[in-house]
Amino acid sequence: MNILKLNDVSMVYGSVRALQNVSFAVRPGEWVAIMGASGSGKTTMMNIVGCMNKATHGSVVLDGENLSRLNAGDLTAIRRDKIGLIFQQFYLISYLTAVENVMIAQYYHSVVDEKEAMQALERVGLAPRAKHLPHQLSGGEQQRLCIARALINYPRLILADEPTGNLDKANQNTVMDIFHQLHREGSTIIVVTHSPEVAAHAQRVLSLEFGRLVKDAPTQRLCA
Amino acid sequence: MFLRMVIGAVTRQKRKLLMMAGAMALGISLATAMLNVMLDVGDKINQELKTYGANIMVTPRGASFLGDLYGIEEGAGVSNRYLAEDELPKIKTIFWAFNIVDFTPWLDARVSVNGSEAGVPILGAWFRKHLDLPTGESVDTGIINLRSWWDVRQGWLKDDDMSGIMVGGAYAATHGIHQGDALTLSVRHTSGGERTARVVVRSIFYSGDREDDGLLAPLALVQRLTGLEGKVRRVEVSALTTPENELARRAAQNPRTLSRQAWEVWYCTAYVSAIAFQIEEALTDARAKPVLQVAEAEGAILQKTQLLMLLLTCMSLACSALAISNLVTANVMERGTEIGLLKALGATDSQISLVILAEMLIATFLGGAFGYAAGLGLASVIGHSVFGSAVSAKGLVVPIVALLILLVTLGGSIPAIRMLLRLRPTDVLHGRGAS
Amino acid sequence: MLVALLAVVIGATVFLGMGAVYYDIPRQMGREFRSYGANLVLVSSGGNSVLSLDDAKRAIALLPADKLVGASPFRFETMYYNRQGVTVVGADFTAVKKTSPYWQIQGEWPQKDDEILIGTDIAEHTRLYAGSFVTLDIVPPKGRKISKELRISGVVRTGGAEDGFVIMPMSGLEGIMGVPGTANVVEISIAASGEELSRFIEVLQAESQGITPRLVKRIAASETTVLSRLQVLVYLVTGIVLFLTMICVGTTMMTVVMERRGEIGLKKAIGAGNKVIIAEFMGESTILAFAGWLLGIISGYFFAQIVSMSVFSRGVEMPFVLVLLALVASFVVTLLASLIPVSMSTDVEPALVLRGE
Repeated sequence: MNILKLNDVSMVYGSVRALQNVSFAVRPGEWVAIMGASGSGKTTMMNIVGCMNKATHGSVVLDGENLSRLNAGDLTAIRRDKIGLIFQQFYLISYLTAVENVMIAQYYHSVVDEKEAMQALERVGLAPRAKHLPHQLSGGEQQRLCIARALINYPRLILADEPTGNLDKANQNTVMDIFHQLHREGSTIIVVTHSPEVAAHAQRVLSLEFGRLVKDAPTQRLCA
Repeated sequence: MFLRMVIGAVTRQKRKLLMMAGAMALGISLATAMLNVMLDVGDKINQELKTYGANIMVTPRGASFLGDLYGIEEGAGVSNRYLAEDELPKIKTIFWAFNIVDFTPWLDARVSVNGSEAGVPILGAWFRKHLDLPTGESVDTGIINLRSWWDVRQGWLKDDDMSGIMVGGAYAATHGIHQGDALTLSVRHTSGGERTARVVVRSIFYSGDREDDGLLAPLALVQRLTGLEGKVRRVEVSALTTPENELARRAAQNPRTLSRQAWEVWYCTAYVSAIAFQIEEALTDARAKPVLQVAEAEGAILQKTQLLMLLLTCMSLACSALAISNLVTANVMERGTEIGLLKALGATDSQISLVILAEMLIATFLGGAFGYAAGLGLASVIGHSVFGSAVSAKGLVVPIVALLILLVTLGGSIPAIRMLLRLRPTDVLHGRGAS
Repeated sequence: MLVALLAVVIGATVFLGMGAVYYDIPRQMGREFRSYGANLVLVSSGGNSVLSLDDAKRAIALLPADKLVGASPFRFETMYYNRQGVTVVGADFTAVKKTSPYWQIQGEWPQKDDEILIGTDIAEHTRLYAGSFVTLDIVPPKGRKISKELRISGVVRTGGAEDGFVIMPMSGLEGIMGVPGTANVVEISIAASGEELSRFIEVLQAESQGITPRLVKRIAASETTVLSRLQVLVYLVTGIVLFLTMICVGTTMMTVVMERRGEIGLKKAIGAGNKVIIAEFMGESTILAFAGWLLGIISGYFFAQIVSMSVFSRGVEMPFVLVLLALVASFVVTLLASLIPVSMSTDVEPALVLRGE
């Protein structure tokens, strides 16, 4: 049983072929990195898997739902219920405090529970900064806040787009530690990145080149 | 959570929202001031137009009109019918009593001055008569208000001054009469008797009309001279009226031709013909006629002024509405990234729209409330500096202003929100379209 | 940028529209006030009360034709109906319609010399109405008593002295009474008030013979009062609308510029001096102000035209001075509105601007 299965997926923007006949599957609890240079189709892949775009050809099955058959409203619902998104640019709401930024994800998903939101912040080590506004937090803290927000609804899949792209070494390590912890707890994680260093943390690396899947291989563990 | 988001947005983005609330406050103060002035301008201009004098003339029924234009000799048909002076306060008890601004009785006669042969015209009137009405109220009314354009250098007479008169400028010049001169007035009656009075010239007046060739005295003095105690020849009434329309014109010809409903509408509207009709009802054997020269022109000016103000108000409201909704749009457009993020987090379109609209409405209504208060201030500044009296705050303005704010805010934000919602979250979040 | 342009266009529109209406109000309203009737009368300066119409015509020619609304001569005679004296007025009805627009006629205006109007009081008294014939006895100055049958074409109602008169065409009256070319009074309605009117009277007094101009004080004085009030009203309203609109436009412009703080920070970071940045913004504002002004002229003209046409049914003139003033105003407002936030932003360190929310 796969949690995610792409079968012969292509994405065409006008005359540009961003993805060509990509097929792969992800099992529950797996940590997969999608690697590639700029323009290799990483972002397109991320958008398709993250239910923000529909592939022009092929089928995408996420947790038993065939995404290619769904309309925009259904995609929004799937995204809300099954996916936790983490961005390179963080994207926090500037006028809400850290805990409130977590709570809006709860709000759009189901019901607001401030205690639970605080627990999520504790997990990423941000509990003492719960009442701060995003611009009062450092870059690493902002990204940890994003992770807390992505986790709050117990998503089936965590999808991170260059999660450490804007972070220094120390913060990158902190974030990776959190990912390892999530992995140990059984979360399924897909990280899109151009950095081999980040990809090395994953169990398996998918390499994209000019829209084609060129390599699908397990990584050697650097650390436990 | 909804509330927390809205409160967060409003309290932590003060600068942006203050700007918008400020613009809204300006626009709304303009709207409030213009609307209040517009709604009140009719009443105010109506008051001003009262300087033109009486718009209703009351004469005894059956008395035919004298040829009194430009001092043409008196024709036949001089009647000896009069109105009773003690009935006049009833004018202030009709349905539209509140609209009666001023009124005065007139009694004319010819007297010989210092024994001369020629009959000099003398007019008797109320100057500023104090009346206690049967309703318990009291009024002061008379020609001091009704002849505001007269040039009276040494002051008007008092109504109880039985030994004082005023002399017209032309008569005073030809006969060398000055203030303080003593005159003997006498009237010879058809019955053979003669009444005389010794009076002092209190002041000279210039009316620019044929009154300049005669004398003016308190009504009581002329009544005593002529032996017509308690009687008056005609009454001039100055009333605030509504511009005439088709119904009023039909009624003016003959009220009895109206249907029951039309009659009620007519009777309960302050048309000059309706007020004249009610005066006829109140006084015995009286005939009240609108003075069309004043009444018609008044209607025309009032309508033009009101229309002018209405259009100016509408145009400037439209312009400020456009300007503010423009600003609202700019404000919403800035938030493309935020909307994309909320969508990515799984918010539905309606949830996003609601949050943004709620914020915008809070900001604009706060601004609007300040604007309303400021607008009332502006309106009273206009009222005091133009008309010397406050412009009354009309309740009607509040819902109009609220509706305006709502329309401007929704009109400014909904198209922008719809446009932003059409963007896919990917376009915004991966740099395309966002700065 | 579109937002800013729209704001400037709105500002220029309101400026020009309100300005044009304000310029035009005294003229337009002055015309409306002529519905009160004559504000100037000509009477004979001689001992008898009869003036020559030729003298009157020469006097009227001294008045500016574009301000003259109408001049109507009246001649008064006495005739007898059933041995009762009635005042018969000779009038020029085309002129009366201009000087006394408030006359209400039931029936028709007289078309022929033997048609007359009777006052509503006479009509009520004699129970004669439009369409009936009436015989009047006349005693001309020379000759014997004659009788003349005249057709009543309408009943006139004014609420004034006319209600008791018989009114007939001047030529008809001249045919009966002889002595053509005379009148007792000429009523003049002229679109002027206050000092302007007094000046006309002085001109007439000095330069015309046989007649004396007299101010109808009731009409003239009241008009001056009311018109000046109206003018102050429109003046204040215009002022307030202009002031608030300019501020509103300014705020919008400021918001638009404020949004570009990031851009300013970036430019500073890559080495642009404050002067260069300010100059750039000034250049943009200048283009914006000019474009907004051009569009504003068109929409402002329509603004004024719509108001003027629907209120006064007359077109409006757009004074050139106003157009120039609007240009100055849009420059000042646009420049100020961008200068203030730009200079505020240039004071800030680029790093802060770039990082700030």
